[in-house]
Amino acid sequence: MDVALFVTCLTDTFYPRVGEAVVRVLRHFGCRVHFPKRQTCCGQPAYNSGFHPEAAALIRRLVDVFHDAECIVTPSASCATMVRRHGPALLTDEAAAEMARQVAGRVHEFATFLRDRLHVDIGALVRFDKPVTFHYPCHAREVYTVDDLRRWLGNSEMVRTPARPDLCCGFGGLFAVEYPELSGAMLGDKLDELMRTGARLVVCNEAACTLQMAGGARRRGLPLQFKHLAEVLAESLGLMEPTP
Amino acid sequence: MSRTNDTRRRLAAAVADRRVVAAVHLATWRKVDARAESFARLPHAEELRERAAQIRQHTLDHLPAYLEQFVGQVERRGGHVHFAADAAAACRIVCELATQRGLTLAVKSKSMTTEEIHLNAALEAAGVRVVETDLGEFIVQIDRDRPSHIITPIIHKDRRQVAEAMARELGCPYTEDPAELTRIARAHLRDIFRRCDLGITGVNFGVAETGTLCLVTNEGNGRMTVSRPRVHVALLGIEKIIPRLADLPVFLKMLARSSTGQPMGSYTTLVTGPRRPDDRDGPAELHVVLLDNGRSDILAGPMPEVLRCVRCGACLNACPAYRNVGGHAYHSVYPGPIGSLLSPLLYGAEHDALPRVSSLCGACGLVCPVKIDIPALLVRLRALTRDRQPALKRWMLRGWGWVMRRPWVYRLGQKTLRALLRDDGRGWARGGPGPLREWLCERDLPRPPARSFRRLWEEGLGNER
Amino acid sequence: MSVEAAVRAFLDRLRRRVRLPAKKTELPPADDTLRAVEPSLDLAARFVASAEAAGCRVHRVGTADWTAQVARIVTEHRIASVLVQVEPGTALTPERAADLTRVLADRGVSMMTETSDAVLFDVGAAVTGVLSATAETGTLVCASGAASARGATLIPPVHIAVVDQSQLVADLYDTFAWLRRRDELPANVNLITGPSKTADIEGVLVTGMHGPGVVHVILLEPS
Repeated sequence: MDVALFVTCLTDTFYPRVGEAVVRVLRHFGCRVHFPKRQTCCGQPAYNSGFHPEAAALIRRLVDVFHDAECIVTPSASCATMVRRHGPALLTDEAAAEMARQVAGRVHEFATFLRDRLHVDIGALVRFDKPVTFHYPCHAREVYTVDDLRRWLGNSEMVRTPARPDLCCGFGGLFAVEYPELSGAMLGDKLDELMRTGARLVVCNEAACTLQMAGGARRRGLPLQFKHLAEVLAESLGLMEPTP
Repeated sequence: MSRTNDTRRRLAAAVADRRVVAAVHLATWRKVDARAESFARLPHAEELRERAAQIRQHTLDHLPAYLEQFVGQVERRGGHVHFAADAAAACRIVCELATQRGLTLAVKSKSMTTEEIHLNAALEAAGVRVVETDLGEFIVQIDRDRPSHIITPIIHKDRRQVAEAMARELGCPYTEDPAELTRIARAHLRDIFRRCDLGITGVNFGVAETGTLCLVTNEGNGRMTVSRPRVHVALLGIEKIIPRLADLPVFLKMLARSSTGQPMGSYTTLVTGPRRPDDRDGPAELHVVLLDNGRSDILAGPMPEVLRCVRCGACLNACPAYRNVGGHAYHSVYPGPIGSLLSPLLYGAEHDALPRVSSLCGACGLVCPVKIDIPALLVRLRALTRDRQPALKRWMLRGWGWVMRRPWVYRLGQKTLRALLRDDGRGWARGGPGPLREWLCERDLPRPPARSFRRLWEEGLGNER
Repeated sequence: MSVEAAVRAFLDRLRRRVRLPAKKTELPPADDTLRAVEPSLDLAARFVASAEAAGCRVHRVGTADWTAQVARIVTEHRIASVLVQVEPGTALTPERAADLTRVLADRGVSMMTETSDAVLFDVGAAVTGVLSATAETGTLVCASGAASARGATLIPPVHIAVVDQSQLVADLYDTFAWLRRRDELPANVNLITGPSKTADIEGVLVTGMHGPGVVHVILLEPS
């Protein structure tokens, strides 16, 4: 199967290893991965801030970049939601909106793509040699559930489910820099929640949340390590060396 | 810029008030859990939410007709209906009702609508003493404070603060025992209830079909207020109408569950007209004051569905932002997620910042019993007020968009970002300009690795198999 | 402008301003398809569970034993005076009220029937019937009228409600259907679910804020 990777700007810039893991796992399951080089950002930060013309311009661009791809896979559920749900609604020109809807229908989040299109039993493949917990990103709601994410971590006794797995990390795009003290307090609640599980490894499939939580953990001196499910899978399958 | 800065300062101060934040955490988590447990045991919960949303939306779509029916039914049963275009008019109507009849002691049941119009101050100025009878509101009143939650007014106070206020203002012995404090307040207010001559309430639902006013309380102060005085004045926002008596169970099954997790509030009171000629007790006069105060503007505006709100407070409890600042930081009678919609829509630009005080996590929308898509509406409100945003922010977002439309500039931007962030020796940023500074005041930031994903791809990953 | 004219003028303005949206929302049918409790259920058991969860104390007794049960309650709370309110349409018939009055008066309890303030604010308990009761939520339906004061179920610190099992309906939907069937709604109907409560101070639950702190339900079983 031919797959176009929509890597997202944050993963591209801050977490290239996640992108690499996605590529290796997709190839492992027989996909030919393409990377349209003109891709940048889906426009989500502008959209969430109410700057809709700016967001619309980027969606239009993204539709153009990916218009001939059969299958578009992204490691971010929030960017997938941006393209699938908000994208078409932003475009006032009916032809452009229709085109956006067509592309939107071909966008898949990484884990759901493995499950639904490649019929991979993710939970049976992942391995953990130390306790692990997870963060459910708020913007994954239209893509996968808390239970889905929990299942993908397998039946290992190592998995520690937090009392409130879907508690927000406090990022929220520009909110994080417009109201940093409040965003930081919400982050504090989230990190407390993660620390209470006793696990020090956190699976988080959203680069933005990871940026917030990993940065917050480091600032507070908390020994938390964050990984995308793609990295966990790539390591479990022996496709990448585990990070220390 | 200043509005954002003012709000930021206010929120930062609220975040730093650990005593309040701890109290609000405790209370909101308890209610979140109680609500979740209670809804899990309610059959057809999702369908009930859907139905409640439909009933409310349908009513709003046809509000003039339902209001007319409601007015006719209240009058048919001997009640009087008044209309107030704004807060001043509403206060004037209530004050005139009181002074024309020589009423001097008013008891009030908890009502956000009366808070909204600052009725107490108006009545006091007209020479009418007003006593709040909901325990939380009573404590707010004697402590000259403001409510910080639409259901739990003193969510921000701990028992010590309550004890101090009661001992100081009532002259009772100092005690921190909630049961004892409650008993003292009961005794104090019983005396007031024996003597009062005017009762003022809000209304949870007005039933168009029968002209019935539905009030839900746990303490029984609502019942006292509509039973004891000789005049009952009910203030209701024009949006609080439902079509039929048979619609009430849909809402009653969810209202208390959403607020506190109880399957039903202790008292659901249905008032249909003043006392009947052969009734043993009850108010001789019933006045219903319909309050617009900006609601018809919302109804005619781009997001009328905001008016579906039944003021259950579930979105406040669920909101991680509210939990970390409490209600006062919002500087509005209606705090929390629904308040961040209502306040700017009702009161305008001074509340522009509020829709942006949200991470858009969506917890509010998930618990709303009338399915208001609060996060989506917050985004729409941000879009509607975009032109009033600080020029610097507008330029930065425009510039960011310009960069993102040009892959080579974007690429240059990645390198520039790396260059701007000085390395602390371990791959993390030591400092940075502009918004990065705001980021760094609360968390660290990794420096972007030397090789972005697209560089990895070009340098070999793309050619592997 | 007269009060009535001001209201009409407002409605006219509103009608002119507010247009029907393109996407109309239909009014859902007023049916009971989303009910929580089917009428075929053991309503008494469900009522007891719900009422107790709401904080009531429920006593399931036969019609021969109920006065003794009330007497035990009166003794337990050391109540010196009791208001008895007979009302048509309830299980507290004049005969039953007379039985109770005899039993309690024998024990030296002052028995009241008047609902003046002097009585309402002074008695230790009120015994009343109810018009209906809801199994789903453990709710008692009481209303104002010629024979029943609003204050009777509200002001005394203890409320003892006599409910006949045949008065139970399954679901809140049934309660409102029952209300709807009456020719005219009473001026004041109360759905009472448990004692008066507050949790305003640090979320600590305290009963008896304004209304009764204790609600006993005497659930009369068919003889």
